[in-house]
Amino acid sequence: MNRRQLLSCTFAIAALMAAPGAALADADRIDVYITGDSNIINFWNNVIKPVYEDAHPEYTLNVVSARNNIAPIVERTMAALGTETDPQVDIFDENDPNLPAGAIEKGLWVDFTEAGLVNYDKINPVTLETDYGLPYRGTQVVLAYDTSKLDPADVPTTWDELVAWMKANPGEFVYNRPDTGGSGGNFVRRAIHEANGRDPSLFQIDNYVEGESDAMLAQGFELLKDIAPYTYGPGSYTADNMQSIQMLAQGVVTMAPVWSDMALNAVNKGVLPETIAFAQLQDLAFAGGFADMTVPTNAGNLDATLKLADIVLSAPIQEKVVTEIGAFPAVAWEHLPAELANKYAALQPASIPTFPGGPWVSAISDGWFRSVAPHVER
Amino acid sequence: MSSVDATPIGAGAKARGAGGRRPIGLLLVAAPVALVLGLIIWPVALSVFDTLTVHGPQGLEFSLEAYRFFFTDGFSLRNLWLTIRVAAICTVLLLVISLPIALYLRFSETRLAGYIQALALFPLFVPSILLAYALIRTLGPNGTVDTLLVAAGLPKMPTPYLTPWGPIIGLVWDNLPLTLLIVLAGLANVSRASIEAARDVGAGSLTILWHIILPRIRGTLLVAASFVILGLFSAFTLPYLLGPAAPEMMGPFMRRTIIEVDDPVQARTQAVVTFALCAVFALFYVRSVARSRREQTS
Repeated sequence: MNRRQLLSCTFAIAALMAAPGAALADADRIDVYITGDSNIINFWNNVIKPVYEDAHPEYTLNVVSARNNIAPIVERTMAALGTETDPQVDIFDENDPNLPAGAIEKGLWVDFTEAGLVNYDKINPVTLETDYGLPYRGTQVVLAYDTSKLDPADVPTTWDELVAWMKANPGEFVYNRPDTGGSGGNFVRRAIHEANGRDPSLFQIDNYVEGESDAMLAQGFELLKDIAPYTYGPGSYTADNMQSIQMLAQGVVTMAPVWSDMALNAVNKGVLPETIAFAQLQDLAFAGGFADMTVPTNAGNLDATLKLADIVLSAPIQEKVVTEIGAFPAVAWEHLPAELANKYAALQPASIPTFPGGPWVSAISDGWFRSVAPHVER
Repeated sequence: MSSVDATPIGAGAKARGAGGRRPIGLLLVAAPVALVLGLIIWPVALSVFDTLTVHGPQGLEFSLEAYRFFFTDGFSLRNLWLTIRVAAICTVLLLVISLPIALYLRFSETRLAGYIQALALFPLFVPSILLAYALIRTLGPNGTVDTLLVAAGLPKMPTPYLTPWGPIIGLVWDNLPLTLLIVLAGLANVSRASIEAARDVGAGSLTILWHIILPRIRGTLLVAASFVILGLFSAFTLPYLLGPAAPEMMGPFMRRTIIEVDDPVQARTQAVVTFALCAVFALFYVRSVARSRREQTS
């Protein structure tokens, strides 16, 4: 082989390796981009893919992990809009249709209210935030408690009852630091909601004002300082979501705020005993959120993709959302088997408040660490 | 293992490069020196510069505001003070624990010594995140120790978990092999003959330790202490997982300040203060190494 041949060979191989997507382009392939962790990728590969391919054998599902790098793929799809180019993306599993700004106005995303999905009407309305996103799995912070120490009939259902219960049972409640995990973080945010008239609309992504907003947060911190002497330790805060679950598992505390999917997983795997049950505050729930699927209007296989979206919202898959990944179903519980619905009835979200990120995150972390954490020295 | 010397690996190469006549020696040190300059000295200089300047109306201005905030902020000072306290307690505990083990390993000739050495070096191979969760399982509330105590009819112990003692126990366990190796290396310099000579004239064990062994390994102990302290100041995983929310050690504090509080200037200020404290101990180390090299060459 002379030098020129070697060179052209190298180029050919490099070109092949650089463009596997283009080289293998396939009209019958549906490209699914996943933002979630490996459990979500496994869920699509092992649960959704076989069901879909059985129902529509003419198509194959190509599950691609995008992890935290979804923005360039969305940009690519946007760039292909209005051209003949196939963006090689049919569906995103978890994506905010408001990004990039203007995408909705340019008609990038399918409007699901007009897409004619059979299962669309079964969706629990509280989970719907936008017409351009299709919720299919959710998680929310709930209270996990040990039924061997606390009768389900006596479980607090409001913030005031919760505080009264903590004061009557000192050392039996633990929550983790707001910077290390959302279960403690959203417990702290619930206190802030409580101190501000239980009105989540007061907190928006763009309305943080230094000083003024800090005063609102400080009122929430006062409530937390009030309960600090009655928490585990007293005044000790676990370092992540999992440690709170472990404290519950070791019987150290009776109650802790937990992420619903983490806790359900822990119960399914036997990390948490069967005696653990869940409750949600009824005056205002803890914050949480749903993963929204989005479908670009220029998807190569738009009709087949909408059939896929319909299957993800079907009862068998939504049931698996609960049993396999421990998340909330997006469809209302009445469309799922009664047995399952009863088992997780207490987890049923009546509302899912949200709390914005951005500057609020740093204000809450700094404020909590400076005022609440040192309040009770152990 | 006792052949491990406390002299840093780079020192020998550097000496040869400086004294060598061939340019190849200089070329060999050029790569590590460039790396240190580019990846450590330059970013550190940038950080220090950032903490000393503010954007004024006429561009960058010199300002000590970041340091004024740090040294008047009770919260930051408490975190710094806790870190110093934990580092001091850990260093004392490490020296007190590793000295008897090292003495035993140096002067014992039984087969048991080999096993004890393997056991003492075991923590070297355990990632600290595993250690943290294992400690929660054993020393945490209702952990293995509590279960044993209750089985024996004794009350449960007050758990170190989520108190400053949590990271202290973890850090001592984690740093034991390093300290032990350094002390062992120092003990290699103590000849058996000198101990036997002392014993012949009637010196007791404590007298031998105090008058024969300790003076010979004083430099080594200083080196061990400075090494351990440098590691403790930058410790993150164990203080983060086992320590209290407040006060927190500098490692978790710096991470939280830059990631959660989103205040890079304060995070850098915290880093520079920590760095300055560590530099004092690094100076001890460098001086001790320099002195022992002088003694060897003279």
